Amino acid sequence: MSQKRSYQAEVVIRCLTGLLITAALAAETVMAAKDASERQGALVDRVVFTTQPNAGKGVGQIEAGRLDILAQGITKPVIERQIRRAKGVEAALSYGTTADLTLNPAGPELDNGTLNPFGVRAIREALNWLIDRQHIADAVYGGLAQPRYLPLSTAFPDYARFAAKARSLELAYGYQPKRAERVITREMQALGAERQDGVWHHDDEPIELKFLIRSEDTRKQVGDYIANRLEAVGFQVRRMYRTSDQASPLWQGSPPKAGKWHLYTGGWIAPSISRDEAGNFAFYYTPKGLSLPLWQAYEPGDELATIAERLQRREYDSIAERGELMRRGLERAMHGSQRIWLVDQLNLWPRASDISLASDLAGGIAGSALWPYTLRREGEVGGEVVVGTPKLLINPWNPIDGGNWIYDTMIQTATFDRAVLPDPYTGLYHPQRVVSATVTVTEGAPVQKTLDWLALERQDEIQVPADAWLSWDAESGAFVTVGDEYPDGLTARTRTRIRFKDGYLDRTWHDGAPMGVADVVFPWILNFARADKASPLFDASHVPGHKTYTKHFRGWRIVGRDPLVVEVYSDQIFPDAETIAARRMPGLLPWHVIGLGVRAEANGELAFSQDKADREDVPWLSQIAGPSLKRLDKHRAQARNSGFIPFESTLADLVPEGTVEERYAALADWRDRTGHYWVGDGPFQIAAVHPVAGTLTLARNEAFDDPSDKWLRFSEAQIPEPAVDGPVTVTLGDGAAFEIAITAGGEPYPHEAVAAVEYLLFNGAGELTASGPIERIDGEWRVELSSDQIQALNAGANRLEVIVRSNRVALPRFASHVFASVPAEQEAAE
Amino acid sequence: MTATNTLARNLGRLSLFLGKRVLALLVTITIGVYLTIWIANMGGKVDEIRELQIRTSVAQEVRNNPANNDLPPNERNQLIQERVQNEIQRLGLDEPFIYRSGDYLARAMSLRLGRAQNMSSDAGSRQVYAIIGERLPATLLLFGTANLIVFFLAVGAALRLSRRYGSRLDRTVIGLAPSSAAPGWFYGIFLILIFAFIWPMLPAGGMVRVPPPDNDWAYALSVAKHMVLPVAAMVVSQIFIAIYSWRTFFLIHSSEDYVEMARAKGLPERLIERRYILRPTLLPIVTNFLLMLIGLWSGAIILEQVFNWPGLGTLLFQAIGQRDTPVIIGGVVIFAYLLAVTVFLLDILYAILDPRVRGGPK
Repeated sequence: MSQKRSYQAEVVIRCLTGLLITAALAAETVMAAKDASERQGALVDRVVFTTQPNAGKGVGQIEAGRLDILAQGITKPVIERQIRRAKGVEAALSYGTTADLTLNPAGPELDNGTLNPFGVRAIREALNWLIDRQHIADAVYGGLAQPRYLPLSTAFPDYARFAAKARSLELAYGYQPKRAERVITREMQALGAERQDGVWHHDDEPIELKFLIRSEDTRKQVGDYIANRLEAVGFQVRRMYRTSDQASPLWQGSPPKAGKWHLYTGGWIAPSISRDEAGNFAFYYTPKGLSLPLWQAYEPGDELATIAERLQRREYDSIAERGELMRRGLERAMHGSQRIWLVDQLNLWPRASDISLASDLAGGIAGSALWPYTLRREGEVGGEVVVGTPKLLINPWNPIDGGNWIYDTMIQTATFDRAVLPDPYTGLYHPQRVVSATVTVTEGAPVQKTLDWLALERQDEIQVPADAWLSWDAESGAFVTVGDEYPDGLTARTRTRIRFKDGYLDRTWHDGAPMGVADVVFPWILNFARADKASPLFDASHVPGHKTYTKHFRGWRIVGRDPLVVEVYSDQIFPDAETIAARRMPGLLPWHVIGLGVRAEANGELAFSQDKADREDVPWLSQIAGPSLKRLDKHRAQARNSGFIPFESTLADLVPEGTVEERYAALADWRDRTGHYWVGDGPFQIAAVHPVAGTLTLARNEAFDDPSDKWLRFSEAQIPEPAVDGPVTVTLGDGAAFEIAITAGGEPYPHEAVAAVEYLLFNGAGELTASGPIERIDGEWRVELSSDQIQALNAGANRLEVIVRSNRVALPRFASHVFASVPAEQEAAE
Repeated sequence: MTATNTLARNLGRLSLFLGKRVLALLVTITIGVYLTIWIANMGGKVDEIRELQIRTSVAQEVRNNPANNDLPPNERNQLIQERVQNEIQRLGLDEPFIYRSGDYLARAMSLRLGRAQNMSSDAGSRQVYAIIGERLPATLLLFGTANLIVFFLAVGAALRLSRRYGSRLDRTVIGLAPSSAAPGWFYGIFLILIFAFIWPMLPAGGMVRVPPPDNDWAYALSVAKHMVLPVAAMVVSQIFIAIYSWRTFFLIHSSEDYVEMARAKGLPERLIERRYILRPTLLPIVTNFLLMLIGLWSGAIILEQVFNWPGLGTLLFQAIGQRDTPVIIGGVVIFAYLLAVTVFLLDILYAILDPRVRGGPK
């Protein structure tokens, strides 16, 4: 009895304890959420970066609680398994890497007299049927990959836009080994080859394929699998395992006709979400892609060549016309199959379970522009987060032409605020320091807009005002206006009018110096000064990029200063108005900091670019460490004494009186406090740098005035998960209805986030018999197939494919449902 | 007069001997450095690879930059070509390799190490001296500590064991000697697994706590803590074979007739050890010690990688990966010079202490 009582008492105590803990946790969460909404700037106080080149060790450290994030994309299945097994470790996914099979298209007869089967289009096309991409994705990459058939990334918006076409082509070019063998046999015999003892021979010599297999990564296993498949259809394969350095002179350097290789396991990387992949046709399938011998051997045919060029140059009048070109281009690309796409690799970015941050769909954590705005530890505000990266401080840092390694730029991203920020899941730009923008394009320009913060207008002709600045002349130290250069007037294809937030220039830099309109004009002048031979800042390596810029730039002007409103004129267009606006945003840099670099470079002591630094044998300017700092110290002292303003003849009018001294005093104080010259305006500032130890500490910028939860909605990718439910048998001649449920993380997917739902209906032979959009009826997504559509299927096993496109993530999602169509008599008999 | 003549003759012989040694060492360094230049560039083949890499990476950069999106193909290719040409000129790849190899050699031999092609020091300098100089202290600290421990521990233990030849401890050490077949990094992996992950009491890698302490003492303590595992790995991998070889060496010397004679005279063991064993064997011990000190310079590529130690080994690994010829040559040429100077000093020492060396072969 007493035992029972004590047991009951224990149960009660446990329940009470549980309740108290739950209440405490809930209170903590509520408090944390409240704190997040009340707090300004970053949600954590410090972010410490350290080097951890070993991914396995990094995951172990996360598990042991010594590291919070490993900013390294992981593709190895063995590490993926480690992540899966590790307690307290999760991972974000990104899709920026692709594996393909690059083919030598020369021939079929090569210079050495041998036969190259891949000189025959039909054999190249047959490789699509010979290779089981699903097997590669599942067995070779251990699930860390997604089959890819087309020259469009399966994670980017264009694939979603053309998902219906893509799906039908994927089914047409899916794994069909018998068909592959049939076509290869037919074509090889047509070439005069014959199969002896299972091996193809030509002129009594076995046909040997030289297969360059990259040996450093999973492509080694991919190469082995493909070699096995080729041997299965009668080819003798010489497996040439090579590293990148060893393989590139062969596949890139040697003329394809020389026959030093036949196949190569290629790989490509997309560092950020590309919202327009139309240029892929020209790059991957035509001689215009690269000037290397392999590209010069591509013969895409007239139709694909024309489509590729039109798409690359955006020679179309509407989005619909672009769509037609894209669809036809995809068909022709698969028909010619100059290369065989294999998989889109998934990269894992490990992090502790209690850490959340926005990870870019293409660039992962390191490539995310929003990580500084979304990084937080669950249930906690403030504190410290430790991030491991494979390398740190790889090259000198300066915002003009410093090193651009992704692991360093990831940190720099946190220190500079941007006027607009890209959505990590769609690539569309959202306003950060901008209230609104109006993008005006000429009539017929194929531009569309998606988000509400900007307006898209069309006009017959866009005249550039005569007072707009066109360039800056180093010799006279003055602006060149459109009126000066084009007295008869100048037109542009786009005008972007940007209205910044009130008080945009009333903020301060990290060092406490006040911002001003000169900070907006200064980077633009510097851009011209570095390309002008009359300037001591002239840099030959800057010229090619600047030439491209001036080709489409048509002028800009400041329309208002409070609030700041600017108008930018350009001939360059992008399919998304948001991208046009983002590309036209004027830069913002602290002139009193970069100006010291200007002085040092003009004096021949430092150089902004690697190229100029090497040519002049001076240090490459680094604002955070090294020999540059002392030279910058010297110039800071001189600048302060003389009240130096860079490009003074132009900027002096834009700098308010008294602020010059204030700026240099703030900078001197900053240098004393932090030991460096990296001054930005982002949510974090660099608190400490230890170059040899390989650590860098970011501290929260307390003056950053945005609410901390402003970007939190982007912390997680809302990927839709569709499921189809419906009958498993349908009588021919009857109609049928199928229900589609769309969820994300087990919760119903918000209807407003669904961009489109489409269906594709395939008959038993795999032919597309019907397709179309799916409407939401009474709050439910439902496909109703008519009796005619069912009748057209004939008897057999059919498949209904559903494609869901979201406004919140570029990745389209698919679901399918297999059902049998049976004649009415059979149905009755059953 | 006769003594003066003998001294003059001896000095003359010594000068001739040293002159020949200097010449021989210079020739050796020149050949060694040129071979390094040749191998590091694969006889000029690397130029071809690098040019292709430049071309591909520039093309990718141009392609990935939205600013170039709607450029007509010819203008795009022109842009790529201009940028490729800039880079080729910057790296000097527009000059034939044979000329450049001569230039590299002349600079290396005169210790003008110049600028790195792609690498920067952690602080941001492109000077090869700065790049190497920045990493040198970390390597010296780690490898110096480990090797000094191994050296003095091994010599001390070997002396004791040579006196207890055949004892259980002696047999145990001999039995453990083959364990040195595995390199330090191999033990390092196990030590990390045990002491950083299973019983997490020591850091898995790096040189200092993250973030580094502000206080100097705390910083030093943190560095010492980070050194425990790599030093232990090196000591474990080297100590038994070192004891074994020194013990054998001392054993041979301790059975010399003059040692036996000293023992027969009843001299104390410590005196015998110091005067009859250690003194005659001083030359090989000093030689070994000096060569060990020089060996510290080069670091150990894999060990530093395993422990993520920011030393010269890691630096050379990166330099080889990036094909940064000036850094590779810089590392090799400094090592070669240090080695040559050490060998030269040892030659002088030998010549002074051992007349047979000074006189040369008859």
